[in-house]
Amino acid sequence: MDKVNWGLIAPLLALQILLAVVGLISLARTEQVRGPKWMWVLLLVFGNLLGSIAYFTLGRKEL
Amino acid sequence: MSKLWTLYYREMLEAVRSYKLIWIPVVFIILGIMQPLVTFYMADILAASSNVPAGFMDSYEMPGAAAVMAQALGQYGTIGILILVLGTMNSLAGERSSGTAELLMARPVSPVSIVVAKWAANFTVLIIALVLGVAGAAYYTVQLMGGLAWGAVAAASGLYALWLLCAVSLTLLFSAWLRGPAAAGFALLLAAGMSLAHSLLPSRTAWLPAALPGMSASVLAEGRVTGGPMISAALLIVACIAGASLLVRRNKLPN
Repeated sequence: MDKVNWGLIAPLLALQILLAVVGLISLARTEQVRGPKWMWVLLLVFGNLLGSIAYFTLGRKEL
Repeated sequence: MSKLWTLYYREMLEAVRSYKLIWIPVVFIILGIMQPLVTFYMADILAASSNVPAGFMDSYEMPGAAAVMAQALGQYGTIGILILVLGTMNSLAGERSSGTAELLMARPVSPVSIVVAKWAANFTVLIIALVLGVAGAAYYTVQLMGGLAWGAVAAASGLYALWLLCAVSLTLLFSAWLRGPAAAGFALLLAAGMSLAHSLLPSRTAWLPAALPGMSASVLAEGRVTGGPMISAALLIVACIAGASLLVRRNKLPN
């Protein structure tokens, strides 16, 4: 994999990090989520795209 | 008209507060740029997974730019539709369960304007997400695979937007009737059912809105466009808005 061009992949990583950060901000500001908060923190930090999607669609009780 | 505008503004504010206006477009951009990237590095990815039989890679051919673009749009037909439906499912149901609906209904606003404002807000989120996602996908495709016919990309995206809007409108209709998750389930079931019917009997169901994704892909391959699915999709969307308005009216408090 030595010919991987990180310039191409960096925006993808940046977007994933942005998504996780927005999720964490939302998690910090909301009081009620489905399930324990620490689980969502783990999912947002380590769950990549699917973890973030799961948080935004299933994690939050409707505002 | 100014009432409708106020309601729409309220919905957009809600979309910002619930982070919907951020996370849905970001997910769409990620999905869009992932497709050309994964396709471009497919040979490396397969080689790194090590259990590929020798000589297998010789037959691998990089798909053309138009094909990759069609695959990227296809992502919006699966994960994208799921995200949009899950993001829309509570727009009417959530207000019913939280009591906001009663508050809103006590004011002199018509059910139609409530539904139209919600529909327009969800449409706005969809368009922003799709435009940014397609732009990302097209940029990476052009960088990695080669040129695209921009007119075809725009037409294909428009057709896909119409199909996604059908799913969103169905969700809104069911959301006026059922609780959020059930509404999402029914809308997805109907969309999947239409897609299945179209894939089993393509010639007889060529007029269904479910023909739109296929037509979108064929536009990229310089295929033809027929008006049938577009008309039926428009009718379906209008019917969903009308139906949702009737359901909202039925829940209206007596004066």
